[in-house]
Amino acid sequence: MSKEISLGGFLRSQGISRRAFLGFCSTLASAMTIPSGMIEVMAKTLEQTRRPAVIWLSFQECTGCTESLLRSHAPSIESLIFDFISLDYHHTLQAASGSAAERAREETMHRHAGEYLVLVDGSVPKIRHYSTIAGVSNLDMLVETAAGAAAILAVGTCSAYGGLPKANPNPTQALSIGEIIKDKPIVNIPGCPPIPLAITGVIAYYLTMGSLPPLDHLGRPLAFFGENIHDRCYRRPFYDRGLFAESFDDEGARKGWCLYKLGCKAPETYNACAHVKWNQGTSFPIQSGHGCIGCSEPDFWDRGGIYTSTPQGRFDSELSLTLAASLGVVVGAGAAVLARRKKHRVEQELADEASAPESQTST
Amino acid sequence: MNTATLVPEFPTFAEIVQGLGAQIKQLRALAPRPTLPESVRVQRAIATLIAETNADEAVWLESCIRCGQCTTACHYFQATGNTKYAPLRKMNLYRRIYQRELGPFRWWYRLITPPVTLQDLEELQELVFDSCTECGRCTMVCPMGIDIASLVHHQRSALVAAELVPPELAAVQTEQKHQGTAFGASPEALHRMVETIRTQTGIEIPLDKPKAEVMVLTSAVDVVGNARGLWATARVMNHLGVDWTICSDAFESANFGLLSGDMGLWKKQVDLIVAAAKRIGAKTLVIAECGHAYPALRWNPTLKGEELPFEMMYISEYLGRQAEAGRLRLRPLQGRVTYHDPCKTGRRGGAFAEPRAVLKALQADFVEMPANKEFNWCCGGGAGIFLLERATPLRDAAFRIKMQQVDQTGAETVLLSCASCRLNFEAGRQKNQWNKRIESLVELVAEHLIDEGTAAAEGAA
Amino acid sequence: MTLLDYARGPVIQAALVIMIAGIIWRLLGVLVLTRAADLSRPRDAFGNFKGYRTVFSRAWPSSEFLTATRYQTVMAYVFHLATLVVVIGIVPHIEFIQGLTGASWPGLPNGVGVACGIIALASLVALIMRRLTKPAVYCSTWGDYFAWFVVAMPLVTGLMAFAHLGPRYETLLALHILAAALFFAWFPFGKLMHAFWFVFSRAQSGIAYARKGVQI
Repeated sequence: MSKEISLGGFLRSQGISRRAFLGFCSTLASAMTIPSGMIEVMAKTLEQTRRPAVIWLSFQECTGCTESLLRSHAPSIESLIFDFISLDYHHTLQAASGSAAERAREETMHRHAGEYLVLVDGSVPKIRHYSTIAGVSNLDMLVETAAGAAAILAVGTCSAYGGLPKANPNPTQALSIGEIIKDKPIVNIPGCPPIPLAITGVIAYYLTMGSLPPLDHLGRPLAFFGENIHDRCYRRPFYDRGLFAESFDDEGARKGWCLYKLGCKAPETYNACAHVKWNQGTSFPIQSGHGCIGCSEPDFWDRGGIYTSTPQGRFDSELSLTLAASLGVVVGAGAAVLARRKKHRVEQELADEASAPESQTST
Repeated sequence: MNTATLVPEFPTFAEIVQGLGAQIKQLRALAPRPTLPESVRVQRAIATLIAETNADEAVWLESCIRCGQCTTACHYFQATGNTKYAPLRKMNLYRRIYQRELGPFRWWYRLITPPVTLQDLEELQELVFDSCTECGRCTMVCPMGIDIASLVHHQRSALVAAELVPPELAAVQTEQKHQGTAFGASPEALHRMVETIRTQTGIEIPLDKPKAEVMVLTSAVDVVGNARGLWATARVMNHLGVDWTICSDAFESANFGLLSGDMGLWKKQVDLIVAAAKRIGAKTLVIAECGHAYPALRWNPTLKGEELPFEMMYISEYLGRQAEAGRLRLRPLQGRVTYHDPCKTGRRGGAFAEPRAVLKALQADFVEMPANKEFNWCCGGGAGIFLLERATPLRDAAFRIKMQQVDQTGAETVLLSCASCRLNFEAGRQKNQWNKRIESLVELVAEHLIDEGTAAAEGAA
Repeated sequence: MTLLDYARGPVIQAALVIMIAGIIWRLLGVLVLTRAADLSRPRDAFGNFKGYRTVFSRAWPSSEFLTATRYQTVMAYVFHLATLVVVIGIVPHIEFIQGLTGASWPGLPNGVGVACGIIALASLVALIMRRLTKPAVYCSTWGDYFAWFVVAMPLVTGLMAFAHLGPRYETLLALHILAAALFFAWFPFGKLMHAFWFVFSRAQSGIAYARKGVQI
């Protein structure tokens, strides 16, 4: 666990040339808007970096986030950087089990107090007994582990915003990491799963710059979540021209027209899918013919149907508008009927008044 | 020459206007003073509007979008440029009362709008009396087609209830209500005038025949002032050889109930006429040259027109039909002439074709004004406004628009068929030393009749 | 809940409920009032029937008033038509309407929508400038300015959302929906109701005058 090997050495031992590594650094630098002059510095720093200690906590999750990082077809620099970090605790991946595994976590917490990174995937149930590891509730384990962390990376939408476990009716009362830990810097790297480059990019940035990258109002690194997918989408020209797929098997769908009408959430979703793409830049959901489901946004599961388009109302229009119309009929007709009664009453009064003085004058 | 002997030596209309002017000045002093407490007056005004508001009025009040186009149509706004005379302003108080009392959101409006005060109603007086002749020209331009004139009329009713009718109108209204006369035009005055005409011209006016085919109305202006008007009517009727009469218990066209907005008086006057016409078995009721009498009788919404045993016609309408039937034998009219449609018989009455048929029979060199028929500019003196001394500057300003319209035709004579318009035209002519002649349609026809019968009567007398 | 979710969920729902209930309330509250009978004999038997033509004929000023009303009439037409094209022509609006009613139709390219939106806004500005510079003619109330505001805001925010000017797109979209919600919610209460009243108002006057043989 204490192999003092540098990242550069590690990568070269894995057959990655310095040229390829520099290429990775410049990609990262441009993605994270680091000035180009910094690429050399970044590469140098990264190459000489010693393995950082990392504790990976998995709570209410599906392991998809880990899979995203590991299940690349060919090993990528991203996955190799992941290999390089000293992943001292990851209960899905580590060989140790039982009390030995827990001991590894405690040891890291102790030895690297104040320095280690905590990566979390999965949300935390407020009702403690719904999810426990080694008899410790997720909530307690998070609070305990976070206490000595330098920073926390909430990987995936579940840990960043509660995700699927938090979806209505949220039976476990799932919470995001940010809702529990208030006193540590947290970077949210949402997505279901997140783009691997976003995870390693943040780690690389942290290792190079010694600080966390600039974040948006939802705690996401601007470098990967600063842009709207719709703005970057290669199908955008079809949107502008008013050409839309109306169903998944029509002419428009075959021609690759915009999926807006099929519920694509790209206009309201911030992620790097449209330009970084997935599987080493092979494709992304819209390219493969399905609209974006908005997985990197808070509560995406509860924001109307996947196939409900962005501008459509999110409410039961039929019932509420029928009730509104009925209300209008009853109150409107009622108001008029009351007004008619009032008018007849006033007419009668005026008639009485008019006849009264006349009878007086005639008598 | 034949015509010279036919035209009687009556006072000219110019003299009558001057005489009437003096009489009108006295009206102010005769005006009744308010008798009711302030709160009762306000409450009665509101009650009157509630009683007179139906869905039509409500829709019109709801419809205004303050697009301001009505201002281009209103002679008072155009003449003065004063924002308060904009027609759309003339609905504001009515709308407020409607919104507070009958509107669908009245509970809300009662919270956010101030209650109507006597001062509001006092301020309303100028808007619905002095500066609106209810001519309806604004309706012609309104994109919503709002009938502002009818809304103004309801507000006049409200002001009657609030004892806020301008003094001159109130005086005549009170006279008609209590004495049954206007300007002292009593049955005795009618008898005297009939006698005068008979002795001076030999024209017989069959008064109070028990049965007659045609019942003819006259008006106060003719009975107490303009003998020529009554003479001309009689001469034309005699020329036509119809079985006609004037009923001395129901001869008055002028209805100061309608003019002031006193609906009770309106009905009372109308009932008198209808009863008389039924009694004598009239088939036709001819309304004298008194513009507002047309809506008071012919277009009276409460009179079941289909069930009445007689037809009602304005005199210009009657003459037009006779002319079309070729029963009027007329000498050609000399000189260029234009015709002014009185608001009440024209735009708000629909009698456009008939007076023009008379002009055709007169072989007149007739030129329409630039704005004519339903777009005709009001002379500014209708709906009782001629009587209001206070409204004189407004009236004078508005009349200039009319003068321009006439001047553009190049006509030397303006022909009209409404005593109210005629008084205003004549007063305006005198004030502006305008080089036009103002003529009444009936009088002009009477003067141009080719009639052996009259010559014979002349000889007998 | 984000602003967008709030806007296109409960806010727009509440606004539509207010609009529908309010419109029916106000229409029935007026139209169910008493009706006065005009018993006078019409000048011709078809007089009343002919009156309905005023509903259509009043769509354009008569030649008598054309010069005086030209500017306003043309601007108002430009505004109403351009707005209509925007409201029913662009795809996001069609999607919104489809979500409510199920009805759908082909949309226009964005460029056309933006152009019409700009034309609509420009004509609206031209109309308010006239109102502001000729106070004597218009006798404006606060309701006139407020109505202008609630009509202008959806156009401004819609164009901003289209152009991605200012805040993030979903925020602009949310603001646009909120502006539309304000329009919907205000609709039954102010002069925007002329969209309904004009039919009744014109017809009434048309009938009243046609009865007397006058075509207005």
